[in-house]
Amino acid sequence: MPEGSVLAPAQAPAPRSFLRRGGWLLLALPLWVGLYAVLQRLSELLAFGLLGLAPESHLGAAVAFLFYDTPKVLLLLTLVVFIVTFLQSFVSPARVRDALSRRRAGVGNGLAALFGILTPFCSCSAVPLFIGFLRAGVPLGVTFSFLVAAPMINEVALGMLFAMFGWRIALLYAGTGLAIAFLSGLVLGRMRLEQHLERWVQEALQAPASGTVEEERLTLPLRIDLAVQGVREIVGKVWPYILAGICVGAFIHGYVPESLMAGLLGTRAWYSVPLAVLVGVPLYSNAAGVLPIVEALLGKGAALGSTLAFMMSVIGLSLPELVILRKVMRPRLIAAFVAVVALGIVLVGYLFNAIL
Amino acid sequence: MLIEVFGPGCAKCQTLERHARHAAEQAGGDHQVVKVSDHAVMAARGILSTPALAVDGHLKFQGRVASSDEIAALLKG
Repeated sequence: MPEGSVLAPAQAPAPRSFLRRGGWLLLALPLWVGLYAVLQRLSELLAFGLLGLAPESHLGAAVAFLFYDTPKVLLLLTLVVFIVTFLQSFVSPARVRDALSRRRAGVGNGLAALFGILTPFCSCSAVPLFIGFLRAGVPLGVTFSFLVAAPMINEVALGMLFAMFGWRIALLYAGTGLAIAFLSGLVLGRMRLEQHLERWVQEALQAPASGTVEEERLTLPLRIDLAVQGVREIVGKVWPYILAGICVGAFIHGYVPESLMAGLLGTRAWYSVPLAVLVGVPLYSNAAGVLPIVEALLGKGAALGSTLAFMMSVIGLSLPELVILRKVMRPRLIAAFVAVVALGIVLVGYLFNAIL
Repeated sequence: MLIEVFGPGCAKCQTLERHARHAAEQAGGDHQVVKVSDHAVMAARGILSTPALAVDGHLKFQGRVASSDEIAALLKG
């Protein structure tokens, strides 16, 4: 054996079988459906049968919720993330940027908020994206509309809302999220905050471009691979948040009396919406982690507006994202950003509590 | 060839850098892998999402982690 062959020799990749090119999906889907179908009974069997807890007891209710919700949320998340990452492989940030470049305020803000839902977005890409948009002539206010919409109305949040609460709540969340992104971008654009960008950003906006950018063509098997990667990465990253969320949810479900929840987050209490936002902003979780809490809150009679406001402020405004944005924005700009978005969320919360 | 891996240092960027180094080794020949984490440079290069990879100044892809096989194929092509 020649010495060099220890390192895998360069060779043409073997043609991959149908199964490896995505055919395995045909097997995975029925398995998923089967698992999902038996979850409820399995969780009751575990909680009441195996552990012998009484269904009416606080502990029994909490434990059954835990056993049912954990696999349910994980299964739903897997499916939602798979579908969403697959679809997202068709939308590239570069195309969105070109579509938004030199748009007027108004139309631009609306488009940016819509694109924010569709575009793959990870907070570690926030800085390059932000600068890239501004360099291409996307107005600051329009960029903000995108930055608000992208994390808050992300497709995972929408998919999970749809799967757990039905299309009406998902649509409601999407619609109000869009409105907040649109309006806060419009307001921030009006405030002429360009001089509150960090100096190096202002310089980077003027610097000449270098190198070339190639538009890549993805094949179907590669898109499926990307979707699998997305599932691994997202599910691998968020499961502790989900578990934490479910534990909080299980506690609320089993122990918090309905009268307390109705008093704190009910429709009548004027302070319920600001309270929800105040609690939500410093909390950091992702859509999948916050949903079990939302589920338990709604089940205990919290008002829909207050609950949606809570969810929006948890996933839309987060400390880690603000720390990243601090690299490009001076404190005044960050403060304006947080204030405008939080105000938008509060208004939406009141609106829903009033009309629903 | 000059392989540049762009990213602020998140987990995905580190994975891509590892794959790039592996691919350079696999492909043999004279390849150099450089990690770029300066946001100003990334802006000038037209990068919108990280991680991204360029070969000899041409940005090949961004916003995803490619396998080392895929990167090795880029080095040959």
